[in-house]
Amino acid sequence: MNIGTRKILDRSFTAVGIGSIVVMALALMIIVVPIVSNGIGAILFTGTIEHRKMLRNEFQRGNVQNLASEVASSERYRARLYEMLTTFEGELETMAPEKKREYMSQYSQVKTALQALLGPLPGDTTPMLTRFKYGQTRWEKAEEKLHELLYESKWDNSNADIMGKEYFVSRAKAFEGTALAPIFPYIKTNLREMLLPEFTLYWGFITDSSVDSHFFGGIWPEIKGTFFLAIGAMLFAFPLGVVAAIYFTEYAKPGFLNSMLRSANSTLAGVPSIVFGMFGLAFFINTLRVSESKSVIAGSLTLAIMILPTIIRSAEEAILAVPKMYREASLGLGSTKWNTIATVIIPAALPGILTGGVISLGRAAGETAPIIFTAAVSVGSAIGLADVFSSPTPALSWNIYNLASEHEAAAQIRHVQYGMVLALVTIVLLLNLSAIVLRARISKKLKG
Amino acid sequence: MAGESVGESNRSNAFVVSARKRTLQKVAKIAGESVLFSVAAFVALIVLFIFYFVTRDAVPFFQLRGFSEFFTSSNWYPADEPGEFGALAIIYGSLMVTLGSAIIAVPMGVAAAICLSDILPFSVRQYAKPVIEMLAAIPSVAFGFFALVILAPLMQNSGGPMLMWAWWILVSPFLLLAVIVGCDLLTASIKEEKRRHQLYVLLMILFGLIAVVLLFKVGSVLNGIQILTGTNALNVSIILSFMALPTIVSVSEDALQAVGRDIREGSYALGATRAETIIKTILPAASSGILAAVILGVMRALGETMVVWMASGNSSHIPEPWFNYLEAIRTLTATIAGDMGEADQVTGSARFHVLFAMGLLLLIISFISNLVSERIVVRQRKILSGQ
Repeated sequence: MNIGTRKILDRSFTAVGIGSIVVMALALMIIVVPIVSNGIGAILFTGTIEHRKMLRNEFQRGNVQNLASEVASSERYRARLYEMLTTFEGELETMAPEKKREYMSQYSQVKTALQALLGPLPGDTTPMLTRFKYGQTRWEKAEEKLHELLYESKWDNSNADIMGKEYFVSRAKAFEGTALAPIFPYIKTNLREMLLPEFTLYWGFITDSSVDSHFFGGIWPEIKGTFFLAIGAMLFAFPLGVVAAIYFTEYAKPGFLNSMLRSANSTLAGVPSIVFGMFGLAFFINTLRVSESKSVIAGSLTLAIMILPTIIRSAEEAILAVPKMYREASLGLGSTKWNTIATVIIPAALPGILTGGVISLGRAAGETAPIIFTAAVSVGSAIGLADVFSSPTPALSWNIYNLASEHEAAAQIRHVQYGMVLALVTIVLLLNLSAIVLRARISKKLKG
Repeated sequence: MAGESVGESNRSNAFVVSARKRTLQKVAKIAGESVLFSVAAFVALIVLFIFYFVTRDAVPFFQLRGFSEFFTSSNWYPADEPGEFGALAIIYGSLMVTLGSAIIAVPMGVAAAICLSDILPFSVRQYAKPVIEMLAAIPSVAFGFFALVILAPLMQNSGGPMLMWAWWILVSPFLLLAVIVGCDLLTASIKEEKRRHQLYVLLMILFGLIAVVLLFKVGSVLNGIQILTGTNALNVSIILSFMALPTIVSVSEDALQAVGRDIREGSYALGATRAETIIKTILPAASSGILAAVILGVMRALGETMVVWMASGNSSHIPEPWFNYLEAIRTLTATIAGDMGEADQVTGSARFHVLFAMGLLLLIISFISNLVSERIVVRQRKILSGQ
């Protein structure tokens, strides 16, 4: 090979390496950026008057007088709409039966769309579910619903080879010549006045509990549950892990037993997370019966087992990183081995041990599979400290799965899901970031 | 006066020890050490317990249904009466996404590790490492959410063009490189300068044309592909590969660092370029460590639950044809997670125990591969320190 080609190969080799790191950074951005930008939408958004009504009725928040005047002004515009509806209903009565039937089904679609947009219409019975008591609380959702109201969606299946294509038919056309026709342009021009959108900062998303399975309200029960589970796991795993690390670094003698213990540690680190969940179910709940069924304590114990190897390993590394002279100086001054460990080595290694602990805390907070069978429920209120031993809890990680894949109206509450993912990712990444900063400071210190 | 007396008492504690005190100290020491040991042994106990309890609940399934159905049939109808428990398609699905993620993650991970250990200067490395750590820290359910809510619709709506662009961006540089190297190798034997140059240019044009035609033909075929469902094996493989990458990168970087400076310097002294040094000397020396890294990374992909549960489509069948990554599949982990809730109520039935059989299978695979990778690492360390 000539020199030129060798040089090109060398350069492109470097490019592949740098390229793959760039791809990883890009992947991180591609994943994090939409989560952050959409997740913020759960707190910062353009809220409608329905949102303020909901806050007033469900959480007793907001200014009553302001709300009353706003409601009055929006009702003025709505009243005309309702009038048109009544006129059309009167017209419907006078129509020929088959024509009436034809309009009837179309009209009920219009009514459903209107209910979704503005809340219950006058004369409707009060709905059982809270989600039907209010119209659209978010302006961008209201615009989607407006489109649904103005256009009927149909599927073009004429070509059997490809998937059906969606197309839209204007409803105003279908009702042309009837008393209902003018409502479509009316709503289009006056929706703003009917819903009174304004910029909303809804901190309650973090501190409120959810209303009607996350249609409204916030994610406080999930945050609290995640907090309990992760802290509980740390309470069990951290002391055990640090003590085991002290044994491995200071007392263990090389030999068969020691290598067995180390193998066990790395085996535990490699066990798939779902198997921890099965074990938690079979052992803590079905055999030890720490609780009747799922509970926070069972989940915490399962998570503790999962993070134990990580804590041991990082604590070991931190202890081994303590300079030898510290130990020798302490022993030289006549202190015993245990005394040296307790007063010299552990304090010197503490920041490193804490770093590992913080990373493990993040892992315990983010992990889902071990708590599916042991601790997590999809709907529930925030639990108190006293319920830890007996009751299961909603948790961020589990509810992200549940809302995204199993919720009956997953597509309607995307903003809640994004908000939850953002909350979880923020918690985990902040913990990791603080660990990274902590470690950078330690390595500076040890270098002197 | 006061200082002297303190010194006195210290001395009496440290050096003048009565027989009783000495035995007390000894007992305390033994007791303390045994407490420490028992805590360390607790980990081993947990591992034994995990094996015992998963096996205990897995055995009834094999007693009820035998081995052959589980491993050879792909009829998975656990809810029927009587149920069918053929897990072949599910095992195949697990292997499929694991292999898919390995194909993406291994070359990228090893290249990134080489870059981190040998190419990038320290100042850049400082910023690259946190990126990898953050990637490792993102919870699996967030990855799953991304796969389900963002990647899957994207694939479903514009999968063909995406595949085409991926093919162009990924393959064209390598094809260009292959053309250059190929021409060089084919003309290398010709001694006469001028003739060699002519042939080189001729071959360059010929191969270049072939490469361009290949690029566009395959690209247009890919562009025409309609992905019927965005929740498929390809989606999951891509996401899993990014979850496995941090493990692969960090473990193989350790392996590369363990190869001493002397080997590198020897190679440079002989006139090798950096790429030649890395490929011909460092990679072979670190190969076993990199293998261990690959095993650990791949195990993460095999054991991952949330991403596959959310974004693999959960349909228990072997794709048609068998390498079709654009079809929905189902994996062991997702089956355990998804079916446990329904099977829970009837503890003692085959439906409940079959899930533990799957868990046991996962546990055994992960145990063996862990053991293998650990042996490999230990052996490499011995060989390298022996040199």
